[in-house]
Order: sequence, then structure tokens, then C-alpha cells
Amino acid sequence: MACLHDHSCEDHDCSSDWSLYKHIDLSKISALNEATPGSVKSVFKAWEHRLNSSGEHLESNEGDPELLVFIPFTSDVKIKSISIVGGPDGTSPSKMRAFINRDGIDFSDAQSMQAIQEWDLAENMQGVLEYQTRYSKFQSVGNITLHFPDNFGGDITKIHYIGLKGEATQLKRDVVATIVYELMPNPSDHKTRAESGGGLSHVG
Amino acid sequence: MVLEATMICVDNSEWMRNGDYSPSRFQAQSDAVSLICGAKTQSNPENTVGVLTMAAKGVRVLATPTSDLGKILACMHGLEIGGQMNLAAGIQVAQLALKHRQNKKQQQRIIVFAGSPVKHEKKMLELIGRKLKKNSVALDIVNFGEEDEGKTEKLEALLAAVNNNDSSHMVHVPPGPNALSDVLISTPIFTGDGEGGSGFAAAAAAASAGGVSGYDFGVDPNLDPELALALRVSMEEERARQEAAAKKAAEDASKQEKGGGQHAISQDATMTENKTNDLDDESALLQQALAMSMDDPEVSHDVRDTDMSEAATDDPELALALQMSVADSAKDSASQTDVSKLLADQSFVSSVLASLPGVDPNDSSVKDLLASMQSQSDKNEEERPNEEEEK
Repeated sequence: MACLHDHSCEDHDCSSDWSLYKHIDLSKISALNEATPGSVKSVFKAWEHRLNSSGEHLESNEGDPELLVFIPFTSDVKIKSISIVGGPDGTSPSKMRAFINRDGIDFSDAQSMQAIQEWDLAENMQGVLEYQTRYSKFQSVGNITLHFPDNFGGDITKIHYIGLKGEATQLKRDVVATIVYELMPNPSDHKTRAESGGGLSHVG
Repeated sequence: MVLEATMICVDNSEWMRNGDYSPSRFQAQSDAVSLICGAKTQSNPENTVGVLTMAAKGVRVLATPTSDLGKILACMHGLEIGGQMNLAAGIQVAQLALKHRQNKKQQQRIIVFAGSPVKHEKKMLELIGRKLKKNSVALDIVNFGEEDEGKTEKLEALLAAVNNNDSSHMVHVPPGPNALSDVLISTPIFTGDGEGGSGFAAAAAAASAGGVSGYDFGVDPNLDPELALALRVSMEEERARQEAAAKKAAEDASKQEKGGGQHAISQDATMTENKTNDLDDESALLQQALAMSMDDPEVSHDVRDTDMSEAATDDPELALALQMSVADSAKDSASQTDVSKLLADQSFVSSVLASLPGVDPNDSSVKDLLASMQSQSDKNEEERPNEEEEK
């Protein structure tokens, strides 16, 4: 497994660095403008398999190179860098924009909103290029949305691999899913400890 | 059970005054809208539905996606008719309304009622369609009312541009005696991509089929859902048992290589089933209802027919028997007694068997079969008068 970084690989194992994919909540990944629904899940795999283009990959629809990938995590993560392996013949994405902790972004939102960071990508066929993040801004990421607005001239955009490097914390970002507001207070909903029989604290 | 937010685009243009759908196109549309709302809310309680109008004073959102059925029904009241439908703007506003739905986990769907001519260019509609597809919004089109040249073509182009993995549908409803809502109930718009028609749709279909007689078992599912459910479940079990028995009979017959025997055995099987049913005292009424609704003779006849068709072609006597039993299928007990009489006629059966190649009437297994059939047909004769008394 030749690692083409300019350091010797005996010291560490590259694949363990790029293991944030294990913390992705695969069931909730979604992508907009993908040609095959559900194909986005195939781009999150281990480092060793990043060049394995025989299986499924993410493709955009005909004539439209834009892609939007929503990646939720099972716990908060810190992202140090991102690696993208695109397709050949101009189908690699040329730009990437990231949005943090925003739910339900679609294309019009992505185009109008200010991204937290933007990168110009190069064609990364060997999967050795990594794009560093401004680490201070990527400290507690519950979900990340990657927007690829353009490619190198191909009809469609192909992505074979998205790698994330960083650390996973065990914390979960608190999301209040649904809030039910009371119109009128109902005393039976608010029994005090004395009423519910057992206000004694256990000491000793 | 897909979690969905739906926006319904209602056509309230001048063309909706026409009466070719009773009572008027607009009324038929309103009914369909209320049915759709009900179906969506029932299939998943967290689904939301919203309504907007496309004509009159312009595109106007009457209700943003909500799960409150009452609100939607209320806003369909007192809508004014007039102007021309603006399909493109309607779809785009619907998309915007869906974008701002409260629960982002819901899938987005737009249902458009296109009753008047479409004034937009095909290219523009395709562009809109592609934008919907890109944002993974599904689109259902109900094409009714005006049959403009080019309208169907434009709508087909729109559907083709939006369609992603068959999640979008188009339904053509020509004017006719059936109400718009009735035609829609059987379409994927209601049944939602083959998840199986919701109970709501089935009940609605039953209700519209004509009052009490429309209900499957003579029991209103709304009044007594447990009884209706029990009846339905027992009927399905019965069907499954009969199918299993028929299959077993077919296997047995193929082992013994008897074309006619097949007929006798399967008949035997169905009659055994009937007998075991009758013996169950506690659910006697239930079985009656089953028998009435199931059209017993038809079922057993179907079983017999499939098996007998090959035998009948080379045996004129069997063909005659077939004809007799099929001709009487309208009458429940009558046909049963006819066939049982036939079987009870020992000589007839043995002559049939004798004429078949490869069957030896003196064979012990055949004799046993005949004996058991004879006793069973006797018992059946007893049961039949009992049943008549009960009724």
C-alpha cells in the first residue's frame, strides 16, 4: 500500500487517520442532484479503497455538474482535512464549499449562503491530495454539507471517494427535535416530588 | 408510510365551470383534494399537506403544509373561479412552500390538477421539471378537463424531466360517469408507489361503490372495525388453506397420473374444507358470512376448472360434468348438491375413471378414495339441509 505522502509511512498507518467515515450516520446521508438515489453512500469508505472505482460511485445528473452532499455524524467531530477523489476526463469537481451544522440546505440556499470555507480542487486521481480546513472553525461538527458547484468541463461530475480526517469526540450536539408548547398549564403534568411520593434524598 | 410533505395545486380557472365531470369540474376537483389530504394524513400521521390556487387573482397559497385536515377542508370552501391557470408559477411557488416546511426530514411532493389549457412552452416546463428533480421534489399530475392539443405532450415532457426513479406519476382522467376521486383512488397518487392501498383508500372505495352493499362483508369497517378485520383475516386464511389444498391435490394427482382423479381430489379437498368450516359451531355465523361473500362455488369451481381443463379435452363425459357444474355456479347450494350428487353416483364416477387411460378402477387406492368420497358426500348432504335451516 504505497502512500505517496512525502513522509515515511512506517511511523503511522495512513488509513487510521482517515477513519472519520466510521462516525458518519450512513442512514441519514443524502445528496441532491445524484443520478442514482442512494449512490452517495458508496463514496464513504476506508482509505485503502479510495481508488477502487469498480463499485458504485456518486454521479450527478446529465448535463448538470452540481452536487450537494449532506453528511451527518453520530457524534460531534473535529475535521482536520478533506480528500476528494473525482472521476476522469473532466468529471472531477473543481470547487468545494462547506457548510457546518445546517440542516436541509438545497441548491438555492447553497448558492446564496456564505460557506464556512471554500477550496479550489485539483484533479486528484491518486487520492493523495488533502485540503486542510481552518481547524478552529471545524471544532464541533454535527453535520457537514459539501457543495460542488462546478467541474473540469465534463458533462457530469463523478466522485469516487470523500475522505475526512480528524478526531471524533464522544459528545453529541443537542438537537431539540420537536417542542410542544403548552397553551394552558395542566397541573397533572407537573407533579412535584413531594406529591409523587418520595422526596427524600438518599444520603449515605 | 413515507414521511412526506405535499403541496396540492388547485386549478380554479374559468374552465372549471364546465359540467362534464359531475357536478362540476371544480366540485369534482375539491372532492379529490379532500380525499388526497385524508389519504396522506392517514398513511402517516406526520405527513403534512398544503394547498394553493393557480388562477383567479393569481397564485395564492391557501394553506402551508399542515397536518390539520380541518384547516385544509375549510380553505377549499368559498374559492372563487376565474382567470387563467398559471402552471409554471404555481409549481414554483409550491416548491418554495415545500422548501420552508417545518420538518426537513419529509420528502417533498407536488400534486398538480391540470384542468385547463397549458399556455407555457414545453422548454420552460422542462426547465422547471429539471429544477424539481435536482432538488428531489416529486411531482404528480392529474390531467383532466380540457383536452388541448399539445397539453398532454407538454405535461408528458414535464413529467419526464421531473421523474426520478418512478416517484412521479401522471394520471389522465377522461370525462365520464365515474367521479374524478373514484378514478384517482386506484392510481399511484393514492396508493403511493405500490405500498399497498391504504386502508383509507380501500374503505373509501367501498363506500363509493354504493352504500352497504359495497362493504366486503356486509359490515361497515367504520362501525365495527374489529369484526371487519376478523372477517377479512379469516377469509384470507381460508383462501390460503384452499390454495394449499389445491396445490397438494395437484401434486398428489401428478404422482398418480390421473387427469380425472385430479378433478375428483381437488373437489374432494374443497369439500373437506367446507365441511370442517361447517362443523365449527361458535363461528357459524362467521362462516355463513364467509360463504356468502366468498362466492364459494366460484372458488371451488375455479380450482376444479384449472385442473379439469386438460382432462376434459380428451374425455367428453368429464366435459359434460364440467359444463353442468359451471352452469350452476350462480346458485350456491344448488351447484354443490349437483356436483355432490354426481360424485355420490358411484357408477358414474367409476365409469369416468374406467374410461381414463392409466386408471385401474380395481386399484385399492382408487377404491379407498371412492369410499371416502362417498361418505363425505353423504355428510355434505346432511350439512347442507342444516345450513338451509340456519339461514
